[in-house]
Formats: sequence, structure tokens, C-alpha cells
Amino acid sequence: MEQLVKDAGSGSRDTMERIRRIFIESLHLNLREEDFSYEAKLDEAVGLDSVAVLEFVTAIEKEFGIVFEPEKLTIVLVRDLKGLAAYVDSRTALRPNHSEHSA
Amino acid sequence: MATPEPSRAVAPASNPNSKLLATLPLFTLNDLLWLLYLFPIRFLATVLPRWSLYAIAKLSNPIIQFDARRSKARAIPWIEQACRATPAHARRIASQSVSNTMLRTLDGLLLLRPSWEKMLRCTGVEGMQHLESAIARGKGVILLAAHLCANRVALRYLAAQGHAALFVHNQQATNKAQGRFGSRFLQPRNAQILKRANPDHVTIQDPDSSLRVMQRLRAGGLVALQIDARGGTPVEPLFLGVPWRVRGGIFEIVRLTDCAVVPMLCVGSISGFRIRFDPMLEIDRAPSRETFLSANLPRFLAVVERHIIENPEEWRLWNNW
Repeated sequence: MEQLVKDAGSGSRDTMERIRRIFIESLHLNLREEDFSYEAKLDEAVGLDSVAVLEFVTAIEKEFGIVFEPEKLTIVLVRDLKGLAAYVDSRTALRPNHSEHSA
Repeated sequence: MATPEPSRAVAPASNPNSKLLATLPLFTLNDLLWLLYLFPIRFLATVLPRWSLYAIAKLSNPIIQFDARRSKARAIPWIEQACRATPAHARRIASQSVSNTMLRTLDGLLLLRPSWEKMLRCTGVEGMQHLESAIARGKGVILLAAHLCANRVALRYLAAQGHAALFVHNQQATNKAQGRFGSRFLQPRNAQILKRANPDHVTIQDPDSSLRVMQRLRAGGLVALQIDARGGTPVEPLFLGVPWRVRGGIFEIVRLTDCAVVPMLCVGSISGFRIRFDPMLEIDRAPSRETFLSANLPRFLAVVERHIIENPEEWRLWNNW
């Protein structure tokens, strides 16, 4: 997990950790955060039930207080943990009260 | 579009990955009919007028009815019970449902022609105000309809009128009369044709199908989605008097997107087709998945049942029973 997060080029470490946690919770997976491959598990979950990904996306929105732009709701973005974290960070930065929270 | 899948028909006979595939006959009469439809008739449909396609349909109707004889025999007692019909009337409904499915399938080929609007006329749209008020909510609209024969044509017409709806389609729909040849080669070919006839389309087998639905709804658009779309928890309520497997997917989408749901009825005829939108469904916005499903499932099913009872000969699934 540590290594995964360190390799991230874009999304912040904290965001990726939170997304992984949301992923486990929203899909009701019985896993520990450090011992699964995000992409493989996402593919598995979506392959079984493509509606599951909606629960995951809405849980991210709720957690970070953001709304995905419609054109960003793609499996390509959701599958890419780094890209997803970067997108979440960029949306979070646009929130009107973001600076107050960061301060 | 629209109705749930009978619990008895859950076995994915047309799923190439299924072990059941190996138990199917290599080639059936149904495969032959689909082969004729997908190749010679499809080519003829690019040049022939609609009436001549219908003449071909009339000539081939006895063979189509023969091919459907077993499923019709199973459907007749159900139709009697669900529609309170006499045995003779139920037989007529079963036969007419088979004929209408064939005619509307031929209409599907006409959609491939640039001049399709001249050949497939809309004879009326009722209740447009219901659709417009649902769109005005700004959270997208799911068009809820039964598996009626004219749905595809109606959706294409609506798109041409500026109300494009993303059509969610099951690429591996059960066809019990199909053999291995049909399942492996003809069904994928038919899926390609359906996609050409209605490019605004996603199959439930696509991993991003739910995200595309959400994308469209978030943009305030329309989605024609079946109540039996895959995904979500399966439940088995009574539907038209029989236990019927319904997946919770559509309910999850409505719960998570807060979209509106408008019942849509599309009825075909020799002269064209007509569309009716009913008032927006009142949705109980229960917070959890389970409570949302149990609160809203009866309303959704009641609408679909009502549409089928009003137009039993237009429902394609009697013969899937």
C-alpha cells in the first residue's frame, strides 16, 4: 500500500487512501486495505454487477463533497486510481470552502 | 426496454460462456429464420418498400408460428390468467404477439435506411407534457416501458424529434429456440445491426454501461432502461400472476441519481406507431437500497403490467415463458 501510494504521480496520497477505503466499504468487500489490487478488484466487481460502480462513485462524491462532471463518468477514469485521485483533488480544490478547510 | 425476466428463463441459453451452450442443438429452425433475416432479407430491406417486406412476413408467418408453437402452448394458460381472456382469445394474443414481434423486427431493418422516417410513421404522441415536466427537473429521466414490439422504432423517432434516449439493451437475451449456431454467430451479428439501427445504445454487458447511464442522466438526458437490467440484488415478485425475476439495478440507478421515471407506451401497427407518456412515477426516496427497492418495486411493476394488459398482443415476452 505504501509503495502504491508513493508511486503516485498525480493524486495525493491521502486521497488515494481514502478512495481505496471507500471502494472497500461501498462494494462491501471483505478485504484489508493493503492487500488487494484496486484495478483487478474493480474489474471483478464491475464484471459481476456494473451498477456497483455507481455506489462507489456516489460514495466518493459524498466523502469529498464533490460532483463528478458527466463527461468524466467513465470506466477509464474510475479504473485508474492515480488519475481518479488527481481528478478528485482537482474537484476538491474548486469547492468554494476548500481554502477554509485547508487552512 | 422494459420488463422483468421470468425466473424460469434465467438460464443464459445464449451466453457463449455458459455450459448450457454445449447442450443446445447445433442448428434449429429458429437459427434458419434468423439467418434469412440477417442476410437475404436485410439486403432486400435496403431497396424494397415496406409493404413488400410485410408481404414476405405474411408468407413466412406460418413457419414463424410453427417455430413458436411450444412457447405459445406454454404462454396461453398464462395469458388466460393474466388478461382474463378466454382460451380462444389467449391463443389469438399469443399468435399475434409472435406476428407483431416479427413485423417490428422487420421495421428494425428499415431503420437502417436513410429514408426510414417516410416508411415508419408516427401516428401520434400523447402526454408529451409529462416527459417535458420530468426533463425540467434537470436530473435526467428514465423511460420505463414494457418489452413492447415498437419500442426501438419509437426511440429512434424520439431521437429525431430532439429527445434522444440512451437505449440499454441486453446483448445476450434468452432465446430458447436458438441453437449453438444462432447463439454463437447470429446473435452477435444481430447485436451489430441493432447498434447500427440505434447508435445511441449501450449493452448491459458493457462494463461501463451503468456509468454511461449515469452520465446521460447527470446531463439531464433520457435513458430507456429495462426493469430487468442486470445488476443489483435479484428479487422475485409476482408479475402478471407468476413469479418473475427482477434485478434491482434500475432501482439503484434511480436512488443514486434522483432521476425522474416516466412510463412510456409504444404501440405499433401496419400504418405506423404511436407513443404515450404517462405522468411521472411518484418515487419513494427511501435512503437504503433495500427499503428503496421494496417501496418502489410494486409501482414500477404495476405500470408495466398495465401497459401489457392494455396491449397484450404487443408484448414480446409471452413466448419467452
